[in-house]
Order: sequence, then C-alpha cells, then structure tokens
Amino acid sequence: MWRTASAERDASIAGTGPPVPAIATSSLHKAFGRRVALHDLTLQVGAGEVFGFLGPNGAGKTTAMKILLGLVHPSGGQALLFGRPPTEPAVRHRVGYLPEHFRFQEWATGAELLDFHGRLSGLGRAERAERIPEVLERVGLAGRGGERVRRYSKGMTQRLGLALAILHRPDLVLLDEPTSALDPVGRRDVRGLVRELAAAGVTVFLNSHLLTEVEVVCDRVAIVSQGRVVAGGPLDDLAGAATQLRLLLDRVDADLLELVGRHGEVARVDGTAVTLDVDSLDVAADLATVLVGSGYRLYGLVPVQRSLEDVFVDLVGEVRER
Amino acid sequence: MLVVARWTVLEARRRKLLLAGVVLSIAFVVVFALAFTLLYHNQQRGLQTGEAQMGGPGGALAPRETLLLMSTILVVLGLYGVQFLAALLALFLGVASVSPEVDSGTLHAVLARPLSRLEYLLGRFLALAGMLIGYVVVMSGALLLTARIVAGYQAGDTTRVVGLMILQVLVLLAVSLLGSTVLPTLANGIVMLALFGLVWLGGIVQFIGTIPPGNDLMANLGTAVSLLLPADAVWRGASYHLMPPSLLVASSLAGQGNIELPFASTAPMAPAMLAWALAYPAACIGLAVAAFRRRDL
Repeated sequence: MWRTASAERDASIAGTGPPVPAIATSSLHKAFGRRVALHDLTLQVGAGEVFGFLGPNGAGKTTAMKILLGLVHPSGGQALLFGRPPTEPAVRHRVGYLPEHFRFQEWATGAELLDFHGRLSGLGRAERAERIPEVLERVGLAGRGGERVRRYSKGMTQRLGLALAILHRPDLVLLDEPTSALDPVGRRDVRGLVRELAAAGVTVFLNSHLLTEVEVVCDRVAIVSQGRVVAGGPLDDLAGAATQLRLLLDRVDADLLELVGRHGEVARVDGTAVTLDVDSLDVAADLATVLVGSGYRLYGLVPVQRSLEDVFVDLVGEVRER
Repeated sequence: MLVVARWTVLEARRRKLLLAGVVLSIAFVVVFALAFTLLYHNQQRGLQTGEAQMGGPGGALAPRETLLLMSTILVVLGLYGVQFLAALLALFLGVASVSPEVDSGTLHAVLARPLSRLEYLLGRFLALAGMLIGYVVVMSGALLLTARIVAGYQAGDTTRVVGLMILQVLVLLAVSLLGSTVLPTLANGIVMLALFGLVWLGGIVQFIGTIPPGNDLMANLGTAVSLLLPADAVWRGASYHLMPPSLLVASSLAGQGNIELPFASTAPMAPAMLAWALAYPAACIGLAVAAFRRRDL
C-alpha cells in the first residue's frame, strides 16, 4: 500500500552499489545566537529502519528534525536525505513530516488542507481523489474531512497532521512527538501506523520524550541531551548494556560490602538488600559460592534488567550534573 | 507557485476578505456617484443662472472650464480615495502575507513539501497582487465611468492612470512583503504605516517646495523620501494623466500654470523616478527571497 515509484526504482538499482542511507548527518552543529541547540550530531538511519530520537524537552530534537527538512540551516556540518541535501526541494517529494506543534491553516477544512498538500507534493487530481479519503480513514478521521480545522480538537488536528505526513506515500516519515495530543487509544493507533509503515519498508524517524512509545516500535535509538548524543544503538543493547544483581541476605556489614565489591559496584543498600552493578550476569554463580562460603545466608539472587527509562534517566541526569 | 497562489485566494475568500472588499467598494462607488452627480448638477444650474462664479485669483474662467475644473477636482479626490484604500489594503495584505504563517508555525508543514521558498513567496505575491490589481481596475474604472457618464469627463490618459495606480499598489505590496519576511507581524505593521505616513508627508513637503518662489531643499527632501518608497510619487504621476489636456492648456493660458491641489500633480512623473518605481517591486521581492532563504523557521 505504501510502495512508491522512487522506492521501487531504488530497490531495482540496489545491487549496483552500497545502499544510500535515508538519513545521514555528519557533525551537525546549530547555534541560535549564543545558545547551542545541537553540538555535534553524526548519525545514519538506513532505509526501512524505525529510528527513535529520544531526549528531554529542549534537547535539540526538533532542531535536528528541522535541519533534516531544510527548515533550519545548520551552523556547521552536513545533513543528507537519500544522499541529497534537504534544501533541494526535489528530495522532499520522498519525505513526510508531522511538525511538533501541528499547526495548520485553521480557515481551511481538513480535506482542503490535504488537497493543497497533495498538489504541493505533485499528486494528480485522480490520485488526490483516491488518496485523501484513504488517509483520513487511516488516521481515524473518516467523514470529518469537510469540517474546518478550527473546529477540530487537538487530538483530531494531530491525526490530520499524520494524514498529511503519509499522504503522498513517502519513503521517509519524520514524526516530531506524534502522540503528544493523543489519548491512550490514539497512541496505540500511532504505534500501529508506525508498524504498518515499517512493514511497507518506509523509514520512520521518530522524535519523542515518551520512552514506552519508542521502546515498543523502534529498532534503534539515539538518546540526546543538551544537544549531544549521549548513547545510541539497537534498543536491546542499550537497555541491556548495564545490568544489576539484587542480593537478599541475612545481614549486611562492612565485610560483606568489601566482598561483593570485588565482583561489581554497589549501587544501593536498603536494609539487608544490596543492589550491585555488574558487567555480566555470569558473576552471579561465583558470588553465590563466595557469600555462602563466608558464612552469609543468601535468600535471593535476582538479575535486574534495566529498562530504557533507567538508562535514559541516568544518562540525561549525568549530562545535567556536568 | 500557482498552487500557493490558488491557496492564497481561497484564504482571502474564507477569511471574508474578498466579501468585505467587494461590499465596501460598492459602497464607496455609490457614494462617489451620488456626490459627483449632485455637485455637478448643482454647479451646472448655478452657472446657468449666473449666480455662481468660480475662478482663481487671476480672473474668472469661462463656465465650461469652471465645470471641467470642478469635475477634475472631484475625480482627483475620488481616485485619491481609491488609491488610499488600495494602498492601505496592499500594506495590510503584505504585512499579513508571511510572518503570521511563520509565527503560528503553519508554514513548517508547507515548506517541508517540495516547494522552494522562492516559489512560496512568488505564489503569495502573485495572488495578492492579482486581487489588488482587480480592486484598482474595478474601482478606478467605476469612478472614471461615472464621471464620464455624468459630466462627459475624459481623462488625459486612462490607461496610464490605471497603470500607475497598479504600480503603486505593487510597490506597497512588495515592500510590506519584504518586511513580512524579516520582521514579526506587529513590528512590520508599525514600520509600514510609519513609512507610508512619512511618504505622504514627503509628498506634501515636495508640493509646498514647488509653490513659487520654490524651495529646493523641500523639493529635494520630498524626492529623497520618494526614493525610499516611491508610492506617493507614482500616485502623483497617475494624477497628472488624470487631468484632461484641455484643462491643463486652459489653466496655463489663464496664467496660473498650476491647479494647486496638494494631492495631485500637473507635471508628469520624472522618467528616472518612473524607472525607479518600476524596478522597486522586483528589487523588494529579490531582497525578500534572499532574506527568507536564509531564515530559520
């Protein structure tokens, strides 16, 4: 349903050279006056990937996305979409975008707005007549296209924004906080839409500060804080990189802390429970033997998988303290 | 570009701009036609019964010239009203053309489409210019037609009158669109109104400077202001072509050499100023595109 002519063309010539990434940035830097919004962003998003760009508010996510669309000019570095600079209008045929504040001309109706954007993206009359009801239906606005945008609720406006973003069957969709105005049902709808796009081979670049959203749909993430990428990679690696062991004992004393300190770093002590940061869960077996051998009674030894949220809070917290 | 232009016209329709413009314009034309007819017939009767005499200090004009002079004054004042309304309209439309879309963020989704900023600006300009040109043509046409039917009034060169009035709105639209790409809406509105007022004052200063014995400093000051924004100068150029040739001849024969209306001119526009005014809108749009291309949205 999403395949586009250009995507098919790319697929057919894929064998002739290395695949062109959907997004490639190198040392992207942006300063607004003295305030630096983006320090040094280098990342690649391959075609067909669902990429999460995570960070707290004001981290530079929206600035990065606007640079990718040619709306903001970088102070340094380079951004390429499918190998072309985004300031070239032609490459934007292949890109769909949902802006953070999803503000549209309120005097127009939803269908008129879609028609205008369809024309701008070069869709013919017949294509628009077919596609506009289709995307309205897809985002849950079937039958509401004739109403003025002014009368839409915030959630409906964001749904309209999603319809605009996928209207012209783009190869790359940039979504800036796509669920900020949606209720839980709406959020699930968006996750479904992202999965559908991914299944059709569309690249999705998602800005968010909502971790669950990203955790559920993204293949790869980059965590950005204060204009810098502080961590990145496949989601499993990131969440699993640092692991903890939770020990439940009959008593905790200085000797014990010294003993377990040889196998990892003590993160927390609550009463007779000790949480230990370890490099690998393999130390658990040794630890059990050593503790029992030293006369401690071990009631429990549980591995704790850190969630993306823990990783996020730790990383963002570290940057803020600097 | 044409997609943006169409969209802009739809916007004007939706925001009731077109409707308001048409209703007010009809009201303006009706009032003018009534006033013109009443005054003309009144004066005609007065002249026939010999009660009224009109003329300058140099001596009385013949009744025919008196009527012509009165018609001219009325037509000049009427068209002055039209150009004033059109000028304000051009400024408002120009001021509201780009910056509100930037401020509200509605432009983000639009410019993320395969549309260059040049195409966007040209589309906006074309649509607004088209509507303003329509307004000027219909309004000045209606007024001139009224004067012709009622008084047999024949302007010196109708095409140039309308052409120059169109040039004036294009100048004002272009400069306010330029302002709209670099300034926030309110600031631009203030700057444009101040500029417009300054130019109007400059025209008056220049006019006073040309009254014998003449004052070069004032005349030069007026010219300098006109170079900054050649709107009033273009209107004065239009008003010259509004004068029936016979009146210009008659008034110079009567030894006055000047009808002395502060809002009009009995001398044609200097070619250099005309050339400047013709280049002005293009220069403004060029600057607007250059500034807008560099802007972060």
